[in-house]
Amino acid sequence: MSSLELTNISKRFGAVSVFQGLSLTIAAGEFVAFLGPSGCGKSTLLRIIAGLERADSGEIRLGDQRIDTLAPGARGVAMVFQHYALYPHMTVRENIAFGLRNGGAPKAEIAERVAEAARVLEIGPLLDKKPGTLSGGERQRVAIGRAIVKQPRLFLFDEPLANLDAALRTRTRLELAQLRRRVRATMIMVTHDQVEAMTLADRVVVMNQGEIQQVGTPMQIYDRPANTFVAGFVGSPRMTLAPVGLVPGDARFATVRLGDGSQVSTRVPRADLPSEGLLLGLRPECVRLGPPRPGEPTAQVEFIERLGDRTLVYVKLGDGTAVTAEDKGASQAQVGQTVGLRLAAAAAHLFGPDGRGHHAAGRAG
Amino acid sequence: MTAAGVKGPSLAGFTPAGLAGVALAAAVMITPLLWTVGLSLKPNFELMRDTSSVFGPPYTLENYRAILANSNVFRWVFNSTVVSLSTTFGVLALSSLAGYAFARLEFRGRRALFVAVLLGLAIPEQAVIIARHQMFSALHLHNTYPGLILPGLSAPFGVFLMTQYFRGIPVELDEAALLDGASHFTIFWKVLLPLTLPAQATLGIFTFLASWNDYWWPLISATRSSMFTLTVGVASSQMNFAQTSGLGYLMAQAVFASVPILIVYALFQQHIVRAVAGAATR
Ligand SMILES: Nc1ncnc2c1ncn2[C@@H]1O[C@H](COP(=O)(O)OP(=O)(O)O)[C@@H](O)[C@H]1O
Ligand SMILES: [Mg+2]
Repeated sequence: MSSLELTNISKRFGAVSVFQGLSLTIAAGEFVAFLGPSGCGKSTLLRIIAGLERADSGEIRLGDQRIDTLAPGARGVAMVFQHYALYPHMTVRENIAFGLRNGGAPKAEIAERVAEAARVLEIGPLLDKKPGTLSGGERQRVAIGRAIVKQPRLFLFDEPLANLDAALRTRTRLELAQLRRRVRATMIMVTHDQVEAMTLADRVVVMNQGEIQQVGTPMQIYDRPANTFVAGFVGSPRMTLAPVGLVPGDARFATVRLGDGSQVSTRVPRADLPSEGLLLGLRPECVRLGPPRPGEPTAQVEFIERLGDRTLVYVKLGDGTAVTAEDKGASQAQVGQTVGLRLAAAAAHLFGPDGRGHHAAGRAG
Repeated sequence: MTAAGVKGPSLAGFTPAGLAGVALAAAVMITPLLWTVGLSLKPNFELMRDTSSVFGPPYTLENYRAILANSNVFRWVFNSTVVSLSTTFGVLALSSLAGYAFARLEFRGRRALFVAVLLGLAIPEQAVIIARHQMFSALHLHNTYPGLILPGLSAPFGVFLMTQYFRGIPVELDEAALLDGASHFTIFWKVLLPLTLPAQATLGIFTFLASWNDYWWPLISATRSSMFTLTVGVASSQMNFAQTSGLGYLMAQAVFASVPILIVYALFQQHIVRAVAGAATR
């Protein structure tokens, strides 16, 4: 269990620059998720940490040791590959023992540690099978077994759940969470799935185009997105981002005017808020439907998604601004209907023209 | 999916018409073989008169006795075995190493070198045989085992096959092994090479058969009877006019020369079926 410190990592593939001076610190024992869209550099960063890819510049420290100069096998890092990368011709036992054998561990110790890993992961009955005969979930466990048997200081998971079907994914997610409590090590997981990141990680590193957008606990990321990218990427369905104007005044909190003229009194402090080019951010659960009322925005229902326990209602304001609202499961809303929007204005976010987020005072974070 | 899926022969999945077609094809294939074996069991003088005498007795092993009576025949079998096995293992070793290098290692001139290997595929033996003969003469390699083996070791097809096969193995396996602390040699030897076994079997079998059946180069290079391979030796005992020694004798020679191949087939039957069916089952 060691802390990880990335300093000024830069990496380019030919003409394509992936990272320019990326820095990040992960505490010992922390479970961190790299979250971002495909192609943003999550895997590359993981591979740089593992030593499978060389950074052009920068430094990596694991605990008090500099590891970017070491061979991959000497870094005390174990990785679970997206497609597991089990050795097809070896039995599960041989797969798990391979790393220990290369390290020259005594036979008795290898057997003991393999048995221990098999016990933790409940794969004892699979030990003499070949990977080809295992199901996806079983392969996943074996891949994890191959990692934990080395007792690494740092675990790396590349999209660990991406190859599993929906039912298995939920179960494996729970198992990963449990594994995490049993195996005390620093862990990094790469994922493009926000639910995985939010449910598993202590902290989430949101990335886009090779740059870290925000680092924070799942609730910080959700409640106080640092910028419009994070606001849009985390949360499903997406947060509504509507252009608004700032209503002049000297109250402590900003009041903004939507395109159709209706006003929203946020709890975002007016101080150091830019006066132009603002976007109002509203999560769907902060927009409810009701009969139209004076002083509240009214909108036309464009499209309805019934999810069973709740209903997503996509509406348009008078000026055409699109807003996503949430209604109860047995929603009465109908396409074409005119509805009133009840905004939970206290939970509204504002984003400046630079994309930076401004949040209600005193909320979690 | 994998070759492990290939079991024994099965008639399931054939329609009656399909079955009849396959049976007919098999009959067409086996008839000349049976004909050859049949003729080899007949006394030569009877065949001189009429080859249809093959359908009735008398049968005899006289032709085989005549072959074995030739004192050199076991020497030739031995020579063929040495040459074919050496060629096969040499080709496997060189092709695997070269294939690994082309597929996995970064080095200057890799592309150019690979193209050069591929060009080797396009050059027929006939085009180089005189130069090769001169070279081996200069090196005093004629009538030696190296003289018979070395030309067969340049196997551009083997290098090509193994390169493609190594390329087909996910690099993630190498990377997993690197993280498992494996050296490059360990990765090659313990992780990748075992996975190329199907290709090794294919290449090995075809190399062995080609080497065993090769006639031209041994005919040119081995001029001393003690260095003949079986093909050359058998042919040499036919003298100028094949018929003088009799049709039955000729056929017995053909059968005799193919017995080792049959043994190889029996030993590696499974692998051969997979090798031939490989393209379909992978
Ligand atoms: N070996 C490589 N050669 C060239 N470009 C690469 C290579 N690996 C990754 N890239 C590029 O780097 C970027 C980040 O890729 P990756 O780290 O795989 O993204 P992610 O895992 O977030 O989907 C992508 O634009 C990708 O095309
Ligand atoms: Mg990736």
